[in-house]
Amino acid sequence: MKSFEWVQAQSLDDAIAQLHHGVVVKAGGVDLIDRMKEGLDEPKRVVNLHGIAGLDGIKQLGTPGELVLGPLATLAQMAASPDVRGRWPALAEACAHAATPQIRNMATIGGNLVQRPRCWYFRSADFHCKKKGGSVCYAQAGENQFHAIVGNALCAIVHPSSVATALVAYRANLTLKGKKGERVLPLEQFFAPPEKDVTRENTLGPDELIAQVTVPAPIGPTRAAYHKQVEKESFDWPMADVAVVLRMDGRTCSRASIVLGAAAPIPWRARSAEQTLEGRVVDAAAAEAAADAAMHGMTPLAQNGYKVPVFRAVIRRTILAAVGGAS
Amino acid sequence: MSEEDPSSRPGISRRSFLTGTGLSVAAAGLLKTSEALADAAAADKVEGPGEVAITMKVNEAIHHFKVMPGTTLADALRFDLGMTGTKVVCDRGSCSACTVHLDGMPVCSCMTLALDVGTRAVTTVEGLANGDKLAPIQEQFIAHDAMQCGFCTPGMVMSCAALLATNQKPSLEDVKTAVSGNLCRCGTYPKVFAAAMTASGQKPPPGTQVTAHAAVLHEEAKAAHPSDEPPAWPSSDKLKVVGKSQPRVDGRLKVTGQARYTADVRLPGMLFARRVVSPHPHARVRAIDVSAAERLPGVKAVHVVERNEGAKLRNPPKVAEKYPLVRYAGQCVAGVAATTQAIADEAAKLVKVTYEPLPFVVEMDDARKDKAPLVYPGPVDMGGSGGGGGAAKGLEQHGNVRGPSRRDKGDVEAAMKTADFVVEGVFDTQVQTHSALETHGVVADWRPDGVTVYASSQATSSVRDEIATVFDVPKSKVRVITEFMGGGFGAKFGLGSFGTLAVALSKKAGAPVRLMLDRKEEHLCVGNRPSTVQTLKVGARKDGSLAAIALESHGNGGIATGGGVGWMGTTLYACDNTRSDQYDVFTNGGPAAAFRAPGQPMGAFAIEQLVDEMAEHLKMDPLVLRDKLDAGAGAPAPGGNDAATRAARKVERRIGAEKFGWHRRRAPGSDKGPVKRGLGMAQSMWGRFVELDSSCEVRLHKDGSVEFLSSVQDIGTGTRTAIAMIVAEELGIRPEDVEMKIGDTQYPVGPSSGGSKTLLGITAPARVAAWRVKEQLYRQVGDAARALPLRKAAAKLATESIRAQAQRSEDYGGDPRGGYGGVQFAEVTVDTETGIIKVVRMVAAHDCGRVVNPLAVQSQVNGGILHGLSFALYEHRHMDRATGRMVNPNLDQYKIAMAKETPEIEVVLIDQYLGRNATDVQGIGEPANIPTAAAIANAVYNAIGVRIRTLPMKPAVVLAALGKLDGKEARK
Repeated sequence: MKSFEWVQAQSLDDAIAQLHHGVVVKAGGVDLIDRMKEGLDEPKRVVNLHGIAGLDGIKQLGTPGELVLGPLATLAQMAASPDVRGRWPALAEACAHAATPQIRNMATIGGNLVQRPRCWYFRSADFHCKKKGGSVCYAQAGENQFHAIVGNALCAIVHPSSVATALVAYRANLTLKGKKGERVLPLEQFFAPPEKDVTRENTLGPDELIAQVTVPAPIGPTRAAYHKQVEKESFDWPMADVAVVLRMDGRTCSRASIVLGAAAPIPWRARSAEQTLEGRVVDAAAAEAAADAAMHGMTPLAQNGYKVPVFRAVIRRTILAAVGGAS
Repeated sequence: MSEEDPSSRPGISRRSFLTGTGLSVAAAGLLKTSEALADAAAADKVEGPGEVAITMKVNEAIHHFKVMPGTTLADALRFDLGMTGTKVVCDRGSCSACTVHLDGMPVCSCMTLALDVGTRAVTTVEGLANGDKLAPIQEQFIAHDAMQCGFCTPGMVMSCAALLATNQKPSLEDVKTAVSGNLCRCGTYPKVFAAAMTASGQKPPPGTQVTAHAAVLHEEAKAAHPSDEPPAWPSSDKLKVVGKSQPRVDGRLKVTGQARYTADVRLPGMLFARRVVSPHPHARVRAIDVSAAERLPGVKAVHVVERNEGAKLRNPPKVAEKYPLVRYAGQCVAGVAATTQAIADEAAKLVKVTYEPLPFVVEMDDARKDKAPLVYPGPVDMGGSGGGGGAAKGLEQHGNVRGPSRRDKGDVEAAMKTADFVVEGVFDTQVQTHSALETHGVVADWRPDGVTVYASSQATSSVRDEIATVFDVPKSKVRVITEFMGGGFGAKFGLGSFGTLAVALSKKAGAPVRLMLDRKEEHLCVGNRPSTVQTLKVGARKDGSLAAIALESHGNGGIATGGGVGWMGTTLYACDNTRSDQYDVFTNGGPAAAFRAPGQPMGAFAIEQLVDEMAEHLKMDPLVLRDKLDAGAGAPAPGGNDAATRAARKVERRIGAEKFGWHRRRAPGSDKGPVKRGLGMAQSMWGRFVELDSSCEVRLHKDGSVEFLSSVQDIGTGTRTAIAMIVAEELGIRPEDVEMKIGDTQYPVGPSSGGSKTLLGITAPARVAAWRVKEQLYRQVGDAARALPLRKAAAKLATESIRAQAQRSEDYGGDPRGGYGGVQFAEVTVDTETGIIKVVRMVAAHDCGRVVNPLAVQSQVNGGILHGLSFALYEHRHMDRATGRMVNPNLDQYKIAMAKETPEIEVVLIDQYLGRNATDVQGIGEPANIPTAAAIANAVYNAIGVRIRTLPMKPAVVLAALGKLDGKEARK
């Protein structure tokens, strides 16, 4: 690792004030240190957020309570929180299955949302791909079995945050704080497809940090489930992950939120699946129809076509798991 | 979190107040005006980029020292504080070997900056014990033998300790989750589960226990023992030590982090090395300019690689290349040694290499095409090989295809025509990298009077011999030490190009040089199991006998040879007409190296599936058919299928089937519903190789203390303990009382740890030497002393000590060749919608002659099975065709089976007394790995009624086989 200046920030504002070309902020450091070891990032200065008191809150506020997460809340804390597990179970599940116990103890929600992709061409300093300013997406014609099956014309990464899959399904909002003040936007709009800027995955401004994640209170009876389908259970990136949040009216779904992870460069709202389910009794046939709808229009690459039947199965099963039925 | 309304504070912009939620943003500390924000930066202390002074509390002690900003906690512990118990394996948070606790919470220390620790208390593995009193988890790790090479053990122990501190009665699932991030390449998971459960006062879970001495087979001795060797031991039930489970004598060192591996060696004045490697898969080196590197302060030596890697051209060009040709991405062209690793890393970047890139090819199918770029311009030969067979000298070579290595018997063409039916298939297996947790590496210390090399090696004498040859020094001036090593699996023979570089740098610098490969280098350049494509055709008869077997295979060992598929295909079952044609296909990839039963798992994957197909055709139970086929004469060599090994397999089929519940097997695809269950089995056969260079010395001191000396090393199998047990048995003392001096070439030359013949080589001379010392003792002090404990008899010695040596002699009556093996049964589930295969349970019945230590043999069987399972389902080295580079040289996307993939494994051991040598101990490491993938494949067929002939059996492969891929071809 190339050496760097080190500053322990005293507050979020303090860190924001120091944001400058060549300065990066470190939260848990899990993704940053990996990239610095590979030589992908060589910051002049690292400003440490970790250790600032009061930024790791996990609280329900208001009535009915919305969930308010400080940017330094760890995945382990979120997975263990009775509030999260009780009212946002798909989020707790996503946190509980991310990475390894050690990483969950270290990784923060803020860092998790802005982590860079796991595409092996991106992650290796040996490949100067489009995302790093080059002109080639090596995955298109190369080894792409873990890459995107949709939205992959320009760049074939899958968005790396499985926690984002659940948060988008819960329609979470992000508070970004910068030198000019704060803005709040839906998390779904924070992520940006390659078409917007292939070198980036989100719209975080150069002088902005994540100040807070808020997850709205569930409205009415809500059923939710999350499933991360991996090749091996111990520790693996997802080949397909799905979050389903359903607002129910008896056995009928009045509003559906179905998000796919590991499908596209951004958490992918399966809108046609949602529309298929809304207004319908959620039974096996409905779940299957929704899953089929979700997979219309997918454009898999040479090696990742298998993700389509996998997603079909996982979407169907997760919808049924949400309503408590057998898959 | 503050719930104050920040808009009420002076200076905050109203614009920043949230709308919509009515809630405040919590930002700790004072809220300042935007002008004041800029000043905040100046107020904060900026440290680095040079050294920073820190204070850290580790294991209750306060340390003040300096680190670079980028120093990880792992490196601070290991280098600045000299606490080498915590290991670095992947350095990227993917394997949890570096687990420490921060205020009791397990984290990856390799992904934690030392500067970031702050006031949090660090606990390392060295801090778990209370003085001499081990923590309960450490005690149970030893009791259950939850360790082999031991390199993952500190991290495993720390993960378990953290669990037990917060969960008094964890479930098995809790335990699996707690260690779900811990990679163990030796496959200790079942024992780790048992240790964690018993440490919390619960019973060990099912599938973690061993049944020893399940059957006892006796062979007639072919000849009497020599007069200078003791008579045979009786069966082990009559022995005191041998045959009973014994915790490792070095277990305490491993669970406390005190075991010192090559990666932990620190010598005064030690320099750190870094290799300069080629980014190109094929290139001519035009120039190498080391001047900038040499000038960097702190650099003490630079060396340009002179030796070629890979095979040797049979007809080398008249004009030699100035520099060795680069033939794979990652090949080393030069190296530097400097006072710190950071300086060495920087210096390596300053070495300017001018490459002329050449056309390349990295996949076997491309390499076999007409007009494929040539890896070698002409025919080559290679001494050592990937070990799978096919590396014989002088074979034909056309383009990148070398061979065949042919073995022929009878008339295959004619006999095939007489077959009643034919079963055949094309079987495809992938490149597997060894991925030992301790990477390859050495600390080389060249001095005017000789060179000492600490090496992570499975063959100390091979390293010494190569140093002597390459550097033209007498063997007597070379010393190689391997006290502990973190896994090898076949790749750690010899000095290696990295070792040659380290010795050369040490010689130039006049100082010790440490060169440990990093994880990427480990994947790329020190060995792999070749990929193979084999066509196997079996001509069978209605009566269940075999008319003919034809095998043709191509193997890709990168720039190396040895990509064979072993000899099981044509010799496991009796057949008078067989042909095996095995080819090597060169590609511009890292050189293959022997990997745990080279060739055999791939051969088993094919023949055992075809025999199952044959059984189905004949409407016979696969076990019944094997009883019939395995009874025949078999082939005598190599690794022969002799009567003794066939007798063992017969017993193992029966006992294994009973224990497994083979009768539960139903017709293929019987289960309703998407998840289908299946049962399958496969056999293992490995050859017996006696390494005569297995010698040792036993010393008895007047005070009764006993030493055993040999250069043999312990690769993690428990060699140290097994030998101690042998010597203890002969001398009537405890294994703990034998001072084991091994892993050092200054001792009598011992066998390598490979070929599953280590104990087969060394236990006989160990016993013989102990016996000779004993006989010497009683000759000196009188026969009456035989009634005394050894210590009392030794006290009567006239001299300070006596000693005796022994060297492995030929087996009594000559080398019978023959082999040993086992039978494995697998129960799997296949999710036909996701393509996910899970191995639920395995029963493994194995023989290894006289079982010395059932506990350790069980660990080896577990490890072999986990390797085989991982090979069958997960591991895959991916090469990018366009650039010729490996895209997953890490441990998160090179996928290895871990805790949650571990099935219940029941190990059943039979004893077989062969009357061939003083101990009749055989080997287990490789036989345990051979049949697993085949057993799983057969179980998968039983589950879904579709045969899978491609490894790894990933979801894409399974779904394609089930016809679920919408017409799109599933590429591997």
